[in-house]
Amino acid sequence: MKMAEILKNRQLQIAVMALAFLLVFVPYFIEVPALEAASTKLITITAIVNAVTLILALQSQVRRGLNIVQRRQTGWYFKAYMIITMVLMVVFAFFGRETGPYHWVMYAVVNPLSSVNYGILAFYMASTAARAFRARNTQAILLLTTGFIVLLYQAPLTGAYAPWLEPIALYFGDTFGMAAGRMFLISVTVGAIVFGVRVLMGKETSVLGVGKEEV
Amino acid sequence: MATPLFQVPLIAEGRLIGLILDILIFALVIYYTSGDKHIYIRRVAGLDAIEEAVGRAAEMGKPVVASYGLGGFTYWTLAGLAILSHVATLSARTGTRLIVPTGGSTESLIVRPVAEEIVKTAYTMEGVPDQYNPDDLPFLSGQQYAYVGGYVGILQRTRPASTIMTGSHWSDAMNIAETSSAVGAITITSGAYISNVAALACASDYILIGEEAPAAGAYLSDDPAQRASIRVQDIFKWIALGCIILGLVLSNMGINLVENLLST
Amino acid sequence: MSDNSLMKTLATYDRRWVYLVLFLVVVGPLLRPIGMPISVSPDTKQYYEAINSVEEGDKILFTLNTEFSGYNEIQSGIVATMRVFIEHNTKICVAVGHPEATGIPELVFNQLRSELDANGYVYGEDYVILGYVMPNEASVASMSQDFQGAITQDWLGRSIDDTFLSEIHTWEDWDLIADFTTGLATTYLLNHFALRGTPMTVNCIGVMIASQKPYVDSGVYLAILQSMRGGAELEYLTGHPGPGLTAMDAFTFGHYMLLLFIIAGNIGYYGYTRQQKRGGE
Repeated sequence: MKMAEILKNRQLQIAVMALAFLLVFVPYFIEVPALEAASTKLITITAIVNAVTLILALQSQVRRGLNIVQRRQTGWYFKAYMIITMVLMVVFAFFGRETGPYHWVMYAVVNPLSSVNYGILAFYMASTAARAFRARNTQAILLLTTGFIVLLYQAPLTGAYAPWLEPIALYFGDTFGMAAGRMFLISVTVGAIVFGVRVLMGKETSVLGVGKEEV
Repeated sequence: MATPLFQVPLIAEGRLIGLILDILIFALVIYYTSGDKHIYIRRVAGLDAIEEAVGRAAEMGKPVVASYGLGGFTYWTLAGLAILSHVATLSARTGTRLIVPTGGSTESLIVRPVAEEIVKTAYTMEGVPDQYNPDDLPFLSGQQYAYVGGYVGILQRTRPASTIMTGSHWSDAMNIAETSSAVGAITITSGAYISNVAALACASDYILIGEEAPAAGAYLSDDPAQRASIRVQDIFKWIALGCIILGLVLSNMGINLVENLLST
Repeated sequence: MSDNSLMKTLATYDRRWVYLVLFLVVVGPLLRPIGMPISVSPDTKQYYEAINSVEEGDKILFTLNTEFSGYNEIQSGIVATMRVFIEHNTKICVAVGHPEATGIPELVFNQLRSELDANGYVYGEDYVILGYVMPNEASVASMSQDFQGAITQDWLGRSIDDTFLSEIHTWEDWDLIADFTTGLATTYLLNHFALRGTPMTVNCIGVMIASQKPYVDSGVYLAILQSMRGGAELEYLTGHPGPGLTAMDAFTFGHYMLLLFIIAGNIGYYGYTRQQKRGGE
């Protein structure tokens, strides 16, 4: 059997996952210095493996990109642009990151583009809120009233001239809002643990990159 | 300030109850997934709607856009991948074009090959491996808002019949959901933030709330025992609810028993 | 325009009208700020007290879990908090959770050059920039359990052996973590530092507030600074107006505009559905 096939074996993958889990899980609860040291070492190794995986993923992206460029597929010029800028940024970084072309690209290109894209979010939020808050039924009226008060309070000027609104708006956040937030955290955490157990039992096969039918 | 009720040798301070609860979850999941248990599980509208969303796309001859989030390997992403697996199977079965925008963070580069494998496997398992097109899983960017730009562009160009956005979508979720709704697609989303849930509920047709997404893999499974494992979540929510009520009553009486117990 | 079509227009206005009006009401005050008064929320007061209680020589992990995009929303909080730390002569270690964020420390320190000089801050002795060291949970866990094993040099490849960071070994050695986040590595910091007992504050973007606030209430975080508005309030409390306070006029107008759209939409919805019902009868 080839090495690649052995490493792709599902049972082996699940066994490695379970071992890694135990090595991190057990020392968190049980104080055995030798186990703790092993756990710390494993975590550091994982961080390094993650970084190496990233390099492999990048390599695969470049290879894929080159393939698309070679085949002149739809949008191939975007891939070409991506590969060229990626290589250029690596080269630029060798000339220093505090000054020079790398620095210029970061502050004159990446920063404004990234910021503008983010700014668009406000428009989406505003239009969704404006269209969604309709008094269609009793529940919607309650939501609308609460939302209206909180929005009004969130405008800094209102807070300055109508301080009486603050306790009302904070009441909504500290009671209903907080309760919903906690519910979300508790249910998501429990869901995540149960999900984790299913993964360790090999039931959530999609984690390993396969559909349920394949196992 | 809570003080542990007692200390057990070898067990780290304040972690005994956590350990017991974790072991209990393990035991219960193993119990429920073993054997042939048929347990009633409420319908999750968001997950049920996936079939309808893919069916609609097949009827209209339009694509489905599905994404599993833009984070690394977190449980949100894994839950998103489980849903992607289901969407890919349905798409392969109905001959619907599936577009999966990938990327969004540096870590997403590592998740991408797994997503690719999932979609490919789904097409292979449905007997249509030739329909799998790797170019329909474009890597848009390692940067969140460049990814969003690309995603929104795909939605506007392809005008999909449905958008299924799960996994760890953060502040970008609104841009995607709102654009999807604007192009007339059925929009199914799940929010990784509680605030996202509120905003996405306004912009989506269906939304998965809280633990519904991590439970998706088991819910969509054909195996009843798998589905039964979801019951463990309910049991623990009841335990949490009991602790909250008991803690509320006792702390109002000046007794910090629950707080101290949970800190043990 | 008939009553019917007016109501229908109000109820079903095109979203692009919202975009246009929002753009106008935000750009105007940004170009010509009015300087309207603001109030300070209890959360910001609590945050100010928390960061103000640091002492000289305290070792602070200053984490920037944001890209350039989110930085714009929380930069006022970042700069105002950093100013407080510098004025208290603390030892500051800046770590980031996104490759893009490696460019942010320069933007922050450039705005605080006079404070750095006034307090005699020297790179390496008083502050260190680690760069992109928090790409994933394993890295953050590693920083928490074995800092020296995980980090050996700063972002430009200089050894950290002769800096104050040589005294850091585990999560216990930090006096405070000040996190500024759009959601990247904050959960990891929470799991591997705050829940173990490292004092931590957080300044997050608006969409994260509801998910982060329960941690303040339960005592896991010392305090929370909410989005740009919190940053503006902190600028006000520290007496150093900056980008946050400048943006507050636009912030106020944006909110009022949204309220007007909601009112108009509801009037239209009410009127239109009533007319529809009458027509049906």
